Amino acid sequence: MNEDQDRVEQFRTEIAAMGLRDPATRRDRSLLRVGAVLLVVGPILTIAAYFTSHGTSNPLEQSDAQVLAVIGLTVAVVGGALFARYSMAHFLRFWLARLSFEQSAQTDRLVEALNDKT
Amino acid sequence: MSTTDLPPLESASPRPSGSGRPGAGLPAPLLELRGVHAGYGGIDVLRGISLEVGAGEVVALLGPNGAGKTTTLLVIAGLLEATTGDVLVAGRRVNGAPPADLARRGLCLVPEGRGVFPNLTVRENLKMMTYGGRSMAQIEAVAYDRFPRLADRRGQTAGTLSGGEQQMLALARGLATDPALLILDELSIGLAPLIVEELYARVAEVAAEGVAILVVEQFAEVALGVADKAAIMIHGEITHQGPPDEIRTVLPQTYLGG
Repeated sequence: MNEDQDRVEQFRTEIAAMGLRDPATRRDRSLLRVGAVLLVVGPILTIAAYFTSHGTSNPLEQSDAQVLAVIGLTVAVVGGALFARYSMAHFLRFWLARLSFEQSAQTDRLVEALNDKT
Repeated sequence: MSTTDLPPLESASPRPSGSGRPGAGLPAPLLELRGVHAGYGGIDVLRGISLEVGAGEVVALLGPNGAGKTTTLLVIAGLLEATTGDVLVAGRRVNGAPPADLARRGLCLVPEGRGVFPNLTVRENLKMMTYGGRSMAQIEAVAYDRFPRLADRRGQTAGTLSGGEQQMLALARGLATDPALLILDELSIGLAPLIVEELYARVAEVAAEGVAILVVEQFAEVALGVADKAAIMIHGEITHQGPPDEIRTVLPQTYLGG
């Protein structure tokens, strides 16, 4: 019977030690990729708009190209914001975890020191 | 780092021991489903399934064809990902975990239709289970101790065994992995009642050793004979859960829609 309990406990321990992806990281990675893509697509649109405008003397087409350029800039800004937001979350996550661990360790040391004094 | 370890969930309050089996009173169930939805190609097959299996407990999941029982097992084993809801193994959310990782740690699914390799011998089928690091001697000891009939047929190709013997082999392969959580899909399908009784007697023995067991069955009575509790599943939803005696009273009207 002890062996059976050990097996269950071993199972619990192994499952607890499994490395599992947090579902939130999947969303974060997707948005990071979307941001990177928009960051590239935006300037391309803007450059395309420039050449479109440069290649015509029709003022209506030039206005369209200007609108396209503004859209390209907007796309680039949105992409940059998404990329910055989710890459910061990715890097800051580990920094925050480490900070939390170090603060907890420091508190434990303080408590231990106080207990030793008393 | 691309993975993040999730902390284990807090254990539930201690459960009253409903049976004399070891481990039945442990605080957190070894398997828990909470509001699980899953399906295929946009069609929702499971609609908010919630279920618990504790260590040393046998839970029977009953229901007619097409209820979603096998889909439930696929979600538990990690072969199908839940669209919403939580699958917790030993208190840890394991949605999206690789099935091989769960299997290596002690979650074993014995599939519907036995899943033996028909062109391999009994011994060769058992040899497939050495992936977990157990020796052939250990595996054969477990298999032949539980099912002496397999020892007599170790050199026989699995495809030439009777249905009951194939099911014994499938169950023996599962038990050879030393599971902590055993999931059995339609153990009795296509088998004679005497063989089914023998198989479920082995299931009861295994549960008495502390293994958590979830059994899916269309044919309720034999599963209810060994179960600590049971659940009825209809059209992707669990309509009743409770002790076997209670389930027996509602089973006819649930299946027949009375």
